[in-house]
Amino acid sequence: MRGHRDLERACAAAVLCALVAALVPWEVVRLVAAPPLTLFLPGYAIVAVAFGSQESALPKRLTLSVGTSLMVLVLSAFVLNIFPLGLRTASWAVLLPVVVIAACMGAALRREPAPPRGAALAMPARPPAGSIALASLAVLIGVAALVLAQKPLPAKNAAGYTALWMLPTDSAEAAVAVGVISNEQDPASYRLKVGLGENQSKAYRVDLDPGEERIYEIDVPREANGRTHVVASLYREERPGLLYRQVTSWLPRKKTFP
Amino acid sequence: MVRARLESLPVIALSAAIGLFLCSLANALSRATLAPSPLIYWVGLLVIALPIFFRLTATRPTCRERLALVLLLGLALYCVKVVHDSIYFTFPDEFVHAFNVHNIEKYNHLYHFNPAIPTSPYYPGLEGATSALTMLTGASTYVAGTILVGVARLTFMAALFFLFARLSGSARGAGLGVAVYTGTTNFLFWGAQFSYESLSLPLLVVVLMAFAERDAAPPRERSAWAVPIVLGILAISITHHLTSYALALVFVALAVLYRAMKVERPNPWPFALLSVGVALGWLLIAARSTTGYLFPVFEEAVKAIWNTATGESAPRTLFHQASTAAETVASTPLPARGVALLAVAVLGVGALVGLRQVWRHERERPLVLLFCAGAIAFFAALTLRFAPAAWETGNRAGGYFFIGLAFVCIYGGAELLHRGQRPMRRRLLLTGALGIVLVGGAISGWPWDIQLTRPLQATANGGEIDSESLALGEFARKHLDGSRFAAPESDARMLLEPGGQVAFSGQGPDVEDIVDEPELAVWQLPLLERHHLPFVVADRRRISEDTLRGVFFSVPGQYGTESREQGVVHKFTRIPVGRVWNSGHLVLFNLRDRP
Repeated sequence: MRGHRDLERACAAAVLCALVAALVPWEVVRLVAAPPLTLFLPGYAIVAVAFGSQESALPKRLTLSVGTSLMVLVLSAFVLNIFPLGLRTASWAVLLPVVVIAACMGAALRREPAPPRGAALAMPARPPAGSIALASLAVLIGVAALVLAQKPLPAKNAAGYTALWMLPTDSAEAAVAVGVISNEQDPASYRLKVGLGENQSKAYRVDLDPGEERIYEIDVPREANGRTHVVASLYREERPGLLYRQVTSWLPRKKTFP
Repeated sequence: MVRARLESLPVIALSAAIGLFLCSLANALSRATLAPSPLIYWVGLLVIALPIFFRLTATRPTCRERLALVLLLGLALYCVKVVHDSIYFTFPDEFVHAFNVHNIEKYNHLYHFNPAIPTSPYYPGLEGATSALTMLTGASTYVAGTILVGVARLTFMAALFFLFARLSGSARGAGLGVAVYTGTTNFLFWGAQFSYESLSLPLLVVVLMAFAERDAAPPRERSAWAVPIVLGILAISITHHLTSYALALVFVALAVLYRAMKVERPNPWPFALLSVGVALGWLLIAARSTTGYLFPVFEEAVKAIWNTATGESAPRTLFHQASTAAETVASTPLPARGVALLAVAVLGVGALVGLRQVWRHERERPLVLLFCAGAIAFFAALTLRFAPAAWETGNRAGGYFFIGLAFVCIYGGAELLHRGQRPMRRRLLLTGALGIVLVGGAISGWPWDIQLTRPLQATANGGEIDSESLALGEFARKHLDGSRFAAPESDARMLLEPGGQVAFSGQGPDVEDIVDEPELAVWQLPLLERHHLPFVVADRRRISEDTLRGVFFSVPGQYGTESREQGVVHKFTRIPVGRVWNSGHLVLFNLRDRP
């Protein structure tokens, strides 16, 4: 491979990107490293080995490199699936550099001897400052459009609601978690009443802001028959007599269909 | 001088960015339930596209500039779809494929069951490739999928450009051809969603480009081009059934044409053999369920065509929105229908003129002939839109045929540009025609009332609130580990992703009737038990059967506020069984929790 700078760089980049993607904990850094490794380098190396010393226009070669990388990803998933380790971060981080290095070695063998170093490629002329400013502004506006799309906005006409849920906290089913989630447009107050069997009950006042969730863990006493009917009822503070939401459970659960 | 500056790439890029911002703004206002004028969105779309179209009609730009322009066009229009979404997938097929990615991450292997489209895990190309990105970046399926489909979209644009440039011998023509292709009905939304065809179609175009280059290359250089062709055939076969069959058909047709026309270049029969063999092999060995998935659709389509043709059933009304709910969706306004029909007329004229030119000058080239056949087939497929059960088949097939139509239209456009005086007027006319084709395709390709998105998440008093379907999906993701659900279509989608649950809906098994009927019929509980579905979602919102609209917040006065009878909830309450979740319209029952 000696003398073929592009192939050397492709191999080095593949190994570096794989190490960063597999080992670095920060998603932002991995988001920079993984796309070249997955979406460009495998195709670039395979196109290099296929075409050897043949010349082709750079844009066409780049298009083919990205297209072939997509094909390699699809087929690599199929190959990795055959092995017991399967598709994991580690297996991807090993396979893709192996593909790149193997293909680059093949490309080096197929290519004619590399031209002596120093024959540097002519750099394209630097665009005028005005063009750079306009392009930068375009990128900024484009990013602003994407950011605006990601941002939840007030939607006053959307119908808000509050959800009540209940689940056993563990496999023994000796306690339940009762949750109240507000997806209302405004802060709201509720009264939560949890009936535990025939005789016991607990009551809570719940004040929630929009988007807020409150969870209560409640021990469930066993009734004489070994099972307890748990009923959680939610009432709006301003209408205490009108049942708003209700969830129920019989603990421990039978786990058979009716 | 001023005109030259206005037509420069940075100015055009700035215009595209402004257009994209307008589209994003229109969607933002729609999410804020402020009922914005749709004109903001359509103007945004035209601000993106028209300057690019206009520049592509000029003679001056170099091949590289034209390539940059079509890439800019592809990127900006893809971003129109991205700004339509929030940080969640919202298109019906996206949930299905995201669930497959979720399963690959969970089990580290392919082919795990998908209740929504059982065939989809057996075509794991998209999901396998996405899993590489999710695992190596740590990003969500949404981020990884958006990047992957975006890269595939750019590859598609570049490959189509090179394909058309090679066949037409003109970079100007190639740019115009790609511009025409953006007018296909599925380009803006359907073809940009996180779905297997969004990857397989670009791969198909890369294969066709490699084939055209190979055909034109000197003999000693041909073998190199075979590498991407073979890799492409293999990759497409495990990515998408219909695309693999389309590719096999293309190569078989080419092999026959090469033989019949006694073409001196190598006959592509080895590629035909490989593509047929791999597509069939994959179908028979790995993806047998595909026949049960696709054949009924084709059968229904054929029946519908026959019934419509014989007058047994009424033809489908054009621009009538497909919704599974009984409520009537707001239909497409008359001016928009006019634009959509005008787009078809423009394409018709372009095709007629183009076909004449192609037949005169290029008919000895098999791939060009195949594209001509595609152009004609596109208009034949349009007639399927009149048959109720066949319109989707016609719509999907149209995406493939449109490649041929776009190529033929290059010659139609060239004829307009070359003839007579006043070149500027002719450029403007062609730019306008391309704008009509783009907007008309977008109108035909997606229901009018959801061209702009609806609120899925919103802010209220400083907090973030979720729609009922999304809240249930998030609840399931946090508290229920891979449970099995029966649910209306839209709730089931959210339970798949982000919920990560096994959620059945629709007709197989007949969950649709269980969640829709107010009475508990004797067959319903045994069916749920037989399919091990302890969790049942009862949803009072009739719109919950609608996969396009059901996941969003209800907005009073907007379509989708009609309710089912109370019985859909009470029939489970009366059994009685445990109620796990209650958000008013949605109640989640656990049938294994009972007295």
